[in-house]
Amino acid sequence: MDWTVIPKNLGFLFEGLIVSFQLAGLTLALALPLGSIIALGRLSSRKWIYYLTSAFVHGLRANPLLLIVFWFYFLVPIIIGRPIGDFTSVLIAFVVFYSAYFAEIVRSGIQSVGRGQIWAGYSIGLTYFQTMRYIILPPALRRMVPLLVTQTIILFQGTTVAFIIGLKEFLHRTSLVSERTLKSFELYIFAAVVYLVICYSGSFLSRRLEVKQ
Amino acid sequence: MSMDPPIIQIKNLSFWYGDFKALDNINEEVRKGNCIVICGPSGSGKSSLLRCINGLEKFQQGDVIVDGIGVRNCTDFPKLRSNIGMVFQHFELFPHMNALENITLGPRKVKGKSKKEAEEKGLELLSRVGLSDHSHKHPGNLSGGQQQRVAIARALALEPKVMLFDEPTSALDPEMIGEVLDVMLDLAKEGMTMLVVTHEMGFAREVADEILFIDEGRIIERGTDESFFKHPKNPRTKEFLDKILM
Amino acid sequence: MVEREIPEHGFPLHCRFSRIQLIMGIDYDFRWSLLWEDPYGGWLIDALLVTVHLALLSWLFALAIGIVIAVFRVSPVKWLRIIGTSYVEVLRNIPFLVQLFFWYFAVPTLLPRAWMLWWNQLPSANYWTAVVALSIYTSTRVTEQIRSGIHATPNGQYQAGLSIGLSYPQMYRYVILPYAIRVMIPSMTSEFLTIFKNTAFAMVITVPEITFTAKRIENWTFQGIEAYTFASLVYVLTTFSVIAFMGWVERRLHIPGMIKKE
Repeated sequence: MDWTVIPKNLGFLFEGLIVSFQLAGLTLALALPLGSIIALGRLSSRKWIYYLTSAFVHGLRANPLLLIVFWFYFLVPIIIGRPIGDFTSVLIAFVVFYSAYFAEIVRSGIQSVGRGQIWAGYSIGLTYFQTMRYIILPPALRRMVPLLVTQTIILFQGTTVAFIIGLKEFLHRTSLVSERTLKSFELYIFAAVVYLVICYSGSFLSRRLEVKQ
Repeated sequence: MSMDPPIIQIKNLSFWYGDFKALDNINEEVRKGNCIVICGPSGSGKSSLLRCINGLEKFQQGDVIVDGIGVRNCTDFPKLRSNIGMVFQHFELFPHMNALENITLGPRKVKGKSKKEAEEKGLELLSRVGLSDHSHKHPGNLSGGQQQRVAIARALALEPKVMLFDEPTSALDPEMIGEVLDVMLDLAKEGMTMLVVTHEMGFAREVADEILFIDEGRIIERGTDESFFKHPKNPRTKEFLDKILM
Repeated sequence: MVEREIPEHGFPLHCRFSRIQLIMGIDYDFRWSLLWEDPYGGWLIDALLVTVHLALLSWLFALAIGIVIAVFRVSPVKWLRIIGTSYVEVLRNIPFLVQLFFWYFAVPTLLPRAWMLWWNQLPSANYWTAVVALSIYTSTRVTEQIRSGIHATPNGQYQAGLSIGLSYPQMYRYVILPYAIRVMIPSMTSEFLTIFKNTAFAMVITVPEITFTAKRIENWTFQGIEAYTFASLVYVLTTFSVIAFMGWVERRLHIPGMIKKE
């Protein structure tokens, strides 16, 4: 067993980790707002908005992430008319896909604030927006945070899927080094440990947040 | 007997909840300063009636006019509702705010009062319901009876012309019912117009100007004095009263 | 209406929309008949079978492993509990693809030379690797759901059962399992659907399931929309059928008032 293969390639592998973080971070920054808007649509009393957003959410959640990545990788260049980079097409796929999951978290967070609270808000004369802002969102957000953190960890694990269209993120680079040096055991254990440490810290944080409530 | 127009007029009110007809052609007039008690079996539509009055439920037929504002075609619900205070069975205090904040939210955001003004009034109301020392406590640290009294103060903070009470003591432990009923009795004696859905017949006997018995969405019987309890005219009323009166 | 040439095999598809001008004036020729033409139709049917087979087999193993680990986790023996908890905590926090690559690339190198040679020449080595990886990954989630199913029995019910003198096996049969099963149905349904979608990952080690086949068709014919639509339909229809079926099962088993909904 030759563990020196890891320090020798650390720089190269680490660059891949940065790409993974970039993909995860940008996806989070875009998918969460998009998901929140869709969640409001899912709660709308206007039928067409409800059906449209529900179809969006259910349709996306029924598909594997990998297939959605292929869809966008194929379609976006056709629609835009020219090829676009790996990172961009994967990012678009990820944002659309994960917004469906964030939408459900936000929706259930808002719905978890009971009807009675909404009535109480209205009964003291608050408008829809005031009720949202002062009565519904504060407890809803507090409830959502652990779930959002969990979903972000899932998202981070999902960045490995970008491998398939050639994005040189952490897993891809691990496999490249492994092919070159044939030290696959050491390298994949290392990759596993890195992900383990990152994701475990994340879920530890999520549990702490849950307890704090 | 006041000759002003009644402060609440309910005309041919019907309300469907999906396919279920929750209220069937309700007619009633409430004069200023009166206390109306509404009783009936569960599912009879009593709570729905209150929620139709302040527009929390959108009814499909008839109309309700509160202090001159029609509810059915109301365009300014905040204005309508700032004239109507509502107290809920499960208190519905906002858990992330303390007692004083619960009370001052309405006056500050709806009536535009300053924080100082609202807090002064809020503390006054808290002492009126006997909870001056609890202004900075969160609902989680208050007993049921205390929460409900804060809820009454919250509703009063908007200086409403009418107060609606939806089974205010049903969710309380027996030893706390009294403290809430006392506050309500004081309010009635001070001349507040009140509609109270309740099973507390002792309260009804003491302050009600009229009692309505509602079953299956209809007003079955009205009474204005002791004869309602002793000699109810309708057999369904008698059946219900037998069950709840000891 | 655009007349299309009649291909050598298969039948012609006259389609009003056979040529579409998408945004920016890009043309895309639709050729839906592709999906049942030779050899693509055959590929898709085989892929469907592979996907279903992979999902079901892995699901069974995941359940078996999950039950064992769940037993470890509620065991009175401290070491078993530690093993169980570590198993779950470690494997939940490593992405599935990493685990898959580990089993596919790394583990064979550990085998004694003779075994490794035998394994590498197996034609469906990649398939069985996928089964192992998928089963183990999913078992970590299944075990959590089993645990919460067992804990779903309200404390009062548990005490009532003990107080009428039931033995532990009887407790499981009459008190714990009725709650456990009803609570677990929704989460198990969701887990099965997850494993069904996760079969797509197997394509990276060239297992010919649906997503792999769709990509292959796209590589061969450039008709990506048709191929991916078929793949998406497989997943979407499976998802909705399973949800509908399990909803029916849940309703059949439903006892009013038993599981208190918030």
